[in-house]
Amino acid sequence: MTDSQDLNDVDAAILKQLRATYARVDPPPADLDMRVQFAIELENIDIEVARLSEDLIVGSGARGTERMRTITFDSESVTIMISIIERDGQVRIDGWLAPGGGRRVELRMAGTSATTRGASRTVTTEETGRFVFDGVDHGLAQLVVHPRADTGVDSATAVVTPPLML
Amino acid sequence: MGRDAETTSSSGAERAVYEDASADRRVRIAECLERAQAGEIGALNEVVTELNPLLWHAARAEGLTVDDAVDVVQTAWLELLRRLDEIRSPQALTAWLVTTVRRGAWRSTRRRRREQAEATEVLAAVPDPSPPVDDRLDLEEQHRVLWRHVLSLSERCRALLRVVAMVDRPDYGEVSVALEMPHGSIGPTRARCLAKLRAALLADPAWSPG
Repeated sequence: MTDSQDLNDVDAAILKQLRATYARVDPPPADLDMRVQFAIELENIDIEVARLSEDLIVGSGARGTERMRTITFDSESVTIMISIIERDGQVRIDGWLAPGGGRRVELRMAGTSATTRGASRTVTTEETGRFVFDGVDHGLAQLVVHPRADTGVDSATAVVTPPLML
Repeated sequence: MGRDAETTSSSGAERAVYEDASADRRVRIAECLERAQAGEIGALNEVVTELNPLLWHAARAEGLTVDDAVDVVQTAWLELLRRLDEIRSPQALTAWLVTTVRRGAWRSTRRRRREQAEATEVLAAVPDPSPPVDDRLDLEEQHRVLWRHVLSLSERCRALLRVVAMVDRPDYGEVSVALEMPHGSIGPTRARCLAKLRAALLADPAWSPG
Protein backbone atom coordinates (compact mmCIF):
# COMPACT_ATOMS: atom_id res chain seq x y z
CA MET A 1 0.00 0.00 0.00
CA THR A 2 1.39 3.40 -0.94
CA ASP A 3 1.29 6.58 1.11
CA SER A 4 -1.31 8.18 -1.11
CA GLN A 5 -3.63 5.21 -0.61
CA ASP A 6 -3.14 5.63 3.10
CA LEU A 7 -4.28 9.21 2.88
CA ASN A 8 -7.27 8.22 0.79
CA ASP A 9 -8.31 5.75 3.45
CA VAL A 10 -8.10 8.52 6.03
CA ASP A 11 -10.18 10.78 3.77
CA ALA A 12 -12.80 8.08 3.43
CA ALA A 13 -12.89 7.69 7.21
CA ILE A 14 -13.18 11.46 7.67
CA LEU A 15 -16.04 11.77 5.20
CA LYS A 16 -17.84 8.86 6.80
CA GLN A 17 -17.52 10.49 10.23
CA LEU A 18 -18.56 13.82 8.80
CA ARG A 19 -21.70 12.24 7.40
CA ALA A 20 -22.57 10.70 10.77
CA THR A 21 -21.91 13.95 12.60
CA TYR A 22 -24.04 16.07 10.26
CA ALA A 23 -26.80 13.48 10.51
CA ARG A 24 -26.62 14.02 14.27
CA VAL A 25 -26.19 17.81 14.29
CA ASP A 26 -28.76 18.77 11.67
CA PRO A 27 -30.93 15.83 10.54
CA PRO A 28 -33.63 16.35 7.90
CA PRO A 29 -37.10 16.84 9.42
CA ALA A 30 -38.78 13.50 10.09
CA ASP A 31 -41.57 14.29 7.65
CA LEU A 32 -39.42 15.43 4.72
CA ASP A 33 -39.73 12.16 2.75
CA MET A 34 -43.47 12.00 3.34
CA ARG A 35 -43.90 15.59 2.20
CA VAL A 36 -42.02 14.99 -1.04
CA GLN A 37 -43.82 11.71 -1.69
CA PHE A 38 -47.15 13.46 -1.18
CA ALA A 39 -46.10 16.30 -3.48
CA ILE A 40 -45.22 14.08 -6.43
CA GLU A 41 -48.10 11.64 -6.08
CA LEU A 42 -49.99 13.28 -8.94
CA GLU A 43 -52.26 11.84 -11.60
CA ASN A 44 -50.53 13.70 -14.37
CA ILE A 45 -46.88 14.67 -14.18
CA ASP A 46 -46.88 17.04 -17.11
CA ILE A 47 -46.96 19.96 -14.71
CA GLU A 48 -45.75 23.46 -14.31
CA VAL A 49 -44.35 24.16 -10.85
CA ALA A 50 -45.57 27.27 -9.06
CA ARG A 51 -42.64 28.26 -6.86
CA LEU A 52 -42.96 30.05 -3.58
CA SER A 53 -42.19 33.69 -4.24
CA GLU A 54 -43.41 35.40 -1.07
CA ASP A 55 -44.44 34.17 2.35
CA LEU A 56 -45.45 36.75 4.94
CA ILE A 57 -47.26 36.74 8.23
CA VAL A 58 -49.27 39.84 8.98
CA GLY A 59 -50.66 40.74 12.40
CA SER A 60 -49.62 39.40 15.77
CA GLY A 61 -52.73 37.46 16.70
CA ALA A 62 -52.61 39.28 20.03
CA ARG A 63 -55.73 40.89 21.57
CA GLY A 64 -58.09 39.48 19.02
CA THR A 65 -56.35 40.79 15.92
CA GLU A 66 -56.31 38.23 13.18
CA ARG A 67 -53.04 36.65 12.25
CA MET A 68 -52.90 36.12 8.53
CA ARG A 69 -50.36 34.38 6.38
CA THR A 70 -50.13 35.45 2.76
CA ILE A 71 -48.29 33.31 0.27
CA THR A 72 -47.58 33.97 -3.39
CA PHE A 73 -46.58 31.30 -5.88
CA ASP A 74 -45.33 32.08 -9.37
CA SER A 75 -45.20 29.80 -12.39
CA GLU A 76 -44.53 30.48 -16.05
CA SER A 77 -48.22 30.96 -16.82
CA VAL A 78 -49.95 32.04 -13.60
CA THR A 79 -49.57 33.71 -10.23
CA ILE A 80 -51.41 32.21 -7.27
CA MET A 81 -51.86 34.29 -4.15
CA ILE A 82 -53.49 32.92 -1.04
CA SER A 83 -54.16 34.25 2.42
CA ILE A 84 -54.70 31.83 5.24
CA ILE A 85 -56.67 32.75 8.33
CA GLU A 86 -57.09 30.61 11.41
CA ARG A 87 -60.74 30.24 12.39
CA ASP A 88 -62.29 27.99 15.05
CA GLY A 89 -59.55 25.42 14.91
CA GLN A 90 -59.66 25.27 11.14
CA VAL A 91 -58.39 27.53 8.38
CA ARG A 92 -59.97 29.59 5.66
CA ILE A 93 -58.10 30.12 2.42
CA ASP A 94 -58.86 33.13 0.23
CA GLY A 95 -57.14 32.85 -3.08
CA TRP A 96 -56.59 34.74 -6.31
CA LEU A 97 -55.42 33.32 -9.56
CA ALA A 98 -54.06 35.59 -12.28
CA PRO A 99 -54.89 35.29 -15.05
CA GLY A 100 -57.66 33.03 -14.10
CA GLY A 101 -61.46 33.16 -14.39
CA GLY A 102 -63.22 29.81 -14.63
CA ARG A 103 -60.28 27.59 -13.72
CA ARG A 104 -60.66 24.54 -11.51
CA VAL A 105 -58.49 24.77 -8.39
CA GLU A 106 -57.96 21.67 -6.28
CA LEU A 107 -56.81 21.61 -2.68
CA ARG A 108 -55.08 18.27 -2.13
CA MET A 109 -54.78 17.30 1.52
CA ALA A 110 -52.37 14.68 2.80
CA GLY A 111 -53.81 11.87 4.90
CA THR A 112 -53.06 11.78 8.60
CA SER A 113 -51.09 8.57 8.23
CA ALA A 114 -49.24 6.79 5.45
CA THR A 115 -52.23 4.57 4.71
CA THR A 116 -55.12 7.02 4.82
CA ARG A 117 -55.70 9.13 1.78
CA GLY A 118 -56.42 12.76 2.48
CA ALA A 119 -59.48 14.61 1.34
CA SER A 120 -59.40 16.68 -1.80
CA ARG A 121 -61.66 19.60 -2.67
CA THR A 122 -62.10 21.42 -5.92
CA VAL A 123 -63.60 24.83 -6.63
CA THR A 124 -63.93 26.93 -9.76
CA THR A 125 -62.50 30.43 -9.77
CA GLU A 126 -64.78 33.41 -10.23
CA GLU A 127 -64.46 35.74 -13.20
CA THR A 128 -61.92 37.78 -11.22
CA GLY A 129 -59.81 34.73 -10.44
CA ARG A 130 -60.99 34.62 -6.84
CA PHE A 131 -61.51 31.33 -5.00
CA VAL A 132 -62.22 30.26 -1.41
CA PHE A 133 -61.75 27.14 0.68
CA ASP A 134 -63.44 27.46 4.06
CA GLY A 135 -63.45 25.08 7.00
CA VAL A 136 -60.20 23.40 6.01
CA ASP A 137 -58.46 21.14 8.52
CA HIS A 138 -54.87 21.76 9.53
CA GLY A 139 -52.31 19.63 7.77
CA LEU A 140 -50.22 19.28 4.69
CA ALA A 141 -51.84 20.65 1.54
CA GLN A 142 -51.03 21.36 -2.08
CA LEU A 143 -52.82 23.45 -4.69
CA VAL A 144 -53.38 22.15 -8.20
CA VAL A 145 -54.72 24.48 -10.89
CA HIS A 146 -56.17 22.18 -13.52
CA PRO A 147 -55.89 22.80 -17.24
CA ARG A 148 -58.88 24.32 -18.92
CA ALA A 149 -61.21 21.80 -20.49
CA ASP A 150 -60.78 23.48 -23.86
CA THR A 151 -56.96 23.28 -23.49
CA GLY A 152 -55.94 26.66 -24.79
CA VAL A 153 -52.27 26.76 -25.67
CA ASP A 154 -51.22 28.59 -22.52
CA SER A 155 -53.15 26.45 -20.07
CA ALA A 156 -52.84 22.87 -21.25
CA THR A 157 -50.77 21.77 -18.26
CA ALA A 158 -51.71 21.73 -14.61
CA VAL A 159 -49.95 24.16 -12.29
CA VAL A 160 -48.86 22.68 -8.97
CA THR A 161 -47.53 24.28 -5.79
CA PRO A 162 -45.14 22.61 -3.36
CA PRO A 163 -46.93 21.31 -0.26
CA LEU A 164 -47.46 23.73 2.58
CA MET A 165 -48.40 23.12 6.18
CA LEU A 166 -51.74 24.73 6.98
CA MET B 1 -12.98 -0.91 12.38
CA GLY B 2 -10.36 -1.28 9.67
CA ARG B 3 -11.16 -0.73 6.06
CA ASP B 4 -9.93 -3.13 3.43
CA ALA B 5 -7.64 -1.03 1.29
CA GLU B 6 -7.23 -3.72 -1.33
CA THR B 7 -10.83 -3.70 -2.52
CA THR B 8 -10.74 -0.51 -4.53
CA SER B 9 -8.71 0.15 -7.62
CA SER B 10 -9.84 3.50 -9.03
CA SER B 11 -7.90 6.59 -8.06
CA GLY B 12 -8.21 10.22 -7.07
CA ALA B 13 -11.47 11.97 -6.32
CA GLU B 14 -13.59 9.25 -7.88
CA ARG B 15 -12.26 6.72 -5.45
CA ALA B 16 -14.27 4.94 -2.81
CA VAL B 17 -15.89 7.20 -0.28
CA TYR B 18 -18.15 4.68 1.38
CA GLU B 19 -18.64 0.96 1.54
CA ASP B 20 -22.41 1.14 1.28
CA ALA B 21 -23.12 -1.81 -0.97
CA SER B 22 -23.17 0.93 -3.51
CA ALA B 23 -23.31 -1.17 -6.67
CA ASP B 24 -26.51 -2.68 -5.37
CA ARG B 25 -27.93 0.69 -4.60
CA ARG B 26 -27.06 1.98 -8.03
CA VAL B 27 -28.93 -0.89 -9.69
CA ARG B 28 -31.95 -0.35 -7.46
CA ILE B 29 -32.14 3.37 -8.20
CA ALA B 30 -31.70 2.75 -11.92
CA GLU B 31 -34.66 0.36 -11.80
CA CYS B 32 -36.83 2.83 -9.89
CA LEU B 33 -35.92 5.56 -12.37
CA GLU B 34 -36.90 3.37 -15.32
CA ARG B 35 -40.21 2.43 -13.73
CA ALA B 36 -40.94 6.09 -13.00
CA GLN B 37 -40.11 7.01 -16.59
CA ALA B 38 -42.54 4.33 -17.72
CA GLY B 39 -45.27 6.11 -15.77
CA GLU B 40 -45.13 4.55 -12.31
CA ILE B 41 -44.43 7.64 -10.25
CA GLY B 42 -44.68 5.70 -6.98
CA ALA B 43 -41.38 4.07 -7.92
CA LEU B 44 -39.72 7.38 -7.06
CA ASN B 45 -40.67 7.04 -3.40
CA GLU B 46 -37.67 4.85 -2.70
CA VAL B 47 -35.38 7.27 -4.55
CA VAL B 48 -36.77 10.13 -2.46
CA THR B 49 -35.76 8.31 0.72
CA GLU B 50 -32.29 7.61 -0.68
CA LEU B 51 -31.51 11.12 -1.90
CA ASN B 52 -33.31 13.41 0.55
CA PRO B 53 -30.50 13.50 3.13
CA LEU B 54 -28.07 14.73 0.47
CA LEU B 55 -30.56 17.30 -0.84
CA TRP B 56 -31.37 18.46 2.67
CA HIS B 57 -27.73 19.10 3.48
CA ALA B 58 -27.17 20.77 0.11
CA ALA B 59 -29.97 23.23 0.96
CA ARG B 60 -28.85 23.81 4.56
CA ALA B 61 -25.24 24.25 3.47
CA GLU B 62 -26.46 27.32 1.54
CA GLY B 63 -27.64 28.80 4.84
CA LEU B 64 -31.39 28.22 4.45
CA THR B 65 -33.73 27.96 7.42
CA VAL B 66 -35.45 24.64 8.11
CA ASP B 67 -38.70 25.79 6.47
CA ASP B 68 -36.97 27.18 3.40
CA ALA B 69 -34.81 24.07 2.99
CA VAL B 70 -37.92 21.89 3.12
CA ASP B 71 -39.60 24.07 0.50
CA VAL B 72 -36.60 24.02 -1.82
CA VAL B 73 -36.25 20.23 -1.61
CA GLN B 74 -39.97 19.71 -2.29
CA THR B 75 -39.86 22.09 -5.21
CA ALA B 76 -36.84 20.38 -6.77
CA TRP B 77 -38.64 17.03 -6.78
CA LEU B 78 -41.71 18.61 -8.37
CA GLU B 79 -39.56 20.22 -11.02
CA LEU B 80 -38.03 16.84 -11.74
CA LEU B 81 -41.36 15.38 -12.86
CA ARG B 82 -41.45 17.30 -16.08
CA ARG B 83 -37.78 16.57 -16.84
CA LEU B 84 -37.91 12.92 -15.89
CA ASP B 85 -37.56 11.67 -19.46
CA GLU B 86 -34.33 13.61 -19.97
CA ILE B 87 -32.52 11.93 -17.05
CA ARG B 88 -30.25 9.17 -18.32
CA SER B 89 -28.73 7.60 -15.20
CA PRO B 90 -28.90 7.59 -11.39
CA GLN B 91 -25.75 9.73 -11.36
CA ALA B 92 -27.33 12.28 -13.67
CA LEU B 93 -30.45 12.23 -11.49
CA THR B 94 -28.47 12.97 -8.33
CA ALA B 95 -26.44 15.72 -9.98
CA TRP B 96 -29.56 17.29 -11.52
CA LEU B 97 -31.36 17.36 -8.18
CA VAL B 98 -28.36 18.80 -6.33
CA THR B 99 -27.99 21.52 -8.94
CA THR B 100 -31.71 22.31 -8.80
CA VAL B 101 -31.69 22.46 -4.99
CA ARG B 102 -28.74 24.85 -5.02
CA ARG B 103 -30.39 27.15 -7.57
CA GLY B 104 -33.58 27.00 -5.49
CA ALA B 105 -31.56 27.89 -2.40
CA TRP B 106 -30.08 30.98 -4.04
CA ARG B 107 -33.56 32.02 -5.18
CA SER B 108 -34.90 31.45 -1.67
CA THR B 109 -32.14 33.58 -0.15
CA ARG B 110 -32.97 36.45 -2.52
CA ARG B 111 -36.66 36.12 -1.62
CA ARG B 112 -35.92 36.34 2.11
CA ARG B 113 -33.84 39.47 1.61
CA ARG B 114 -36.65 41.06 -0.38
CA GLU B 115 -39.24 40.12 2.23
CA GLN B 116 -37.16 41.55 5.02
CA ALA B 117 -36.70 44.78 3.12
CA GLU B 118 -40.47 44.99 2.73
CA ALA B 119 -41.20 43.96 6.27
CA THR B 120 -42.04 47.34 7.81
CA GLU B 121 -45.63 46.36 8.57
CA VAL B 122 -44.92 42.72 8.82
CA LEU B 123 -44.04 41.07 12.07
CA ALA B 124 -43.03 37.53 11.45
CA ALA B 125 -41.14 37.54 8.20
CA VAL B 126 -37.91 36.86 10.04
CA PRO B 127 -37.07 33.16 9.89
CA ASP B 128 -35.28 31.11 12.47
CA PRO B 129 -31.53 31.70 12.48
CA SER B 130 -29.05 29.81 10.35
CA PRO B 131 -27.79 26.34 11.27
CA PRO B 132 -25.99 26.04 14.58
CA VAL B 133 -22.32 26.78 14.15
CA ASP B 134 -21.31 27.16 17.76
CA ASP B 135 -19.91 24.50 20.04
CA ARG B 136 -22.34 21.68 20.48
CA LEU B 137 -21.74 20.49 24.01
CA ASP B 138 -24.54 17.96 23.75
CA LEU B 139 -22.64 15.95 21.16
CA GLU B 140 -21.20 12.55 21.92
CA GLU B 141 -17.43 12.42 22.20
CA GLN B 142 -16.82 10.86 18.76
CA HIS B 143 -18.76 13.66 17.06
CA ARG B 144 -17.42 16.48 19.21
CA VAL B 145 -13.77 16.19 18.21
CA LEU B 146 -14.61 16.23 14.52
CA TRP B 147 -17.17 19.01 14.92
CA ARG B 148 -14.65 21.28 16.63
CA HIS B 149 -12.34 21.03 13.64
CA VAL B 150 -15.18 21.43 11.16
CA LEU B 151 -16.04 24.73 12.83
CA SER B 152 -12.51 26.00 12.31
CA LEU B 153 -12.85 25.63 8.53
CA SER B 154 -13.92 28.48 6.29
CA GLU B 155 -17.65 28.72 5.62
CA ARG B 156 -17.14 27.68 2.03
CA CYS B 157 -15.12 24.59 2.97
CA ARG B 158 -17.68 23.65 5.57
CA ALA B 159 -20.52 23.94 3.08
CA LEU B 160 -18.71 21.92 0.43
CA LEU B 161 -17.55 19.09 2.68
CA ARG B 162 -20.97 18.86 4.27
CA VAL B 163 -22.51 18.02 0.93
CA VAL B 164 -19.63 15.90 -0.34
CA ALA B 165 -19.89 13.73 2.78
CA MET B 166 -23.51 12.92 1.91
CA VAL B 167 -22.76 11.78 -1.63
CA ASP B 168 -22.63 8.07 -2.27
CA ARG B 169 -19.71 6.67 -4.16
CA PRO B 170 -21.26 6.07 -7.60
CA ASP B 171 -22.54 9.64 -7.69
CA TYR B 172 -19.37 11.24 -6.43
CA GLY B 173 -17.85 12.36 -9.73
CA GLU B 174 -20.92 13.98 -11.24
CA VAL B 175 -22.09 15.60 -8.03
CA SER B 176 -18.63 17.00 -7.33
CA VAL B 177 -18.70 18.71 -10.70
CA ALA B 178 -22.14 20.14 -9.88
CA LEU B 179 -20.88 21.38 -6.52
CA GLU B 180 -17.92 23.27 -7.93
CA MET B 181 -20.30 25.37 -10.03
CA PRO B 182 -20.27 28.28 -10.48
CA HIS B 183 -16.73 28.29 -9.15
CA GLY B 184 -15.50 25.59 -11.54
CA SER B 185 -12.60 27.68 -12.77
CA ILE B 186 -10.84 27.75 -9.42
CA GLY B 187 -10.20 24.02 -9.37
CA PRO B 188 -10.93 21.26 -6.90
CA THR B 189 -11.80 23.29 -3.83
CA ARG B 190 -13.15 20.21 -2.14
CA ALA B 191 -9.75 18.49 -2.26
CA ARG B 192 -8.10 21.47 -0.58
CA CYS B 193 -10.84 21.67 2.05
CA LEU B 194 -10.56 17.99 2.80
CA ALA B 195 -6.76 18.25 3.02
CA LYS B 196 -7.12 21.06 5.55
CA LEU B 197 -9.52 19.08 7.72
CA ARG B 198 -7.35 15.96 7.42
CA ALA B 199 -4.25 17.84 8.61
CA ALA B 200 -6.10 19.26 11.59
CA LEU B 201 -7.52 15.89 12.60
CA LEU B 202 -4.26 13.99 12.20
CA ALA B 203 -2.58 16.56 14.48
CA ASP B 204 -5.21 16.05 17.17
CA PRO B 205 -4.46 13.14 19.50
CA ALA B 206 -8.13 13.07 20.54
CA TRP B 207 -9.16 12.04 17.02
CA SER B 208 -9.07 8.56 15.57
CA PRO B 209 -10.19 7.42 12.12
CA GLY B 210 -12.51 4.94 13.84
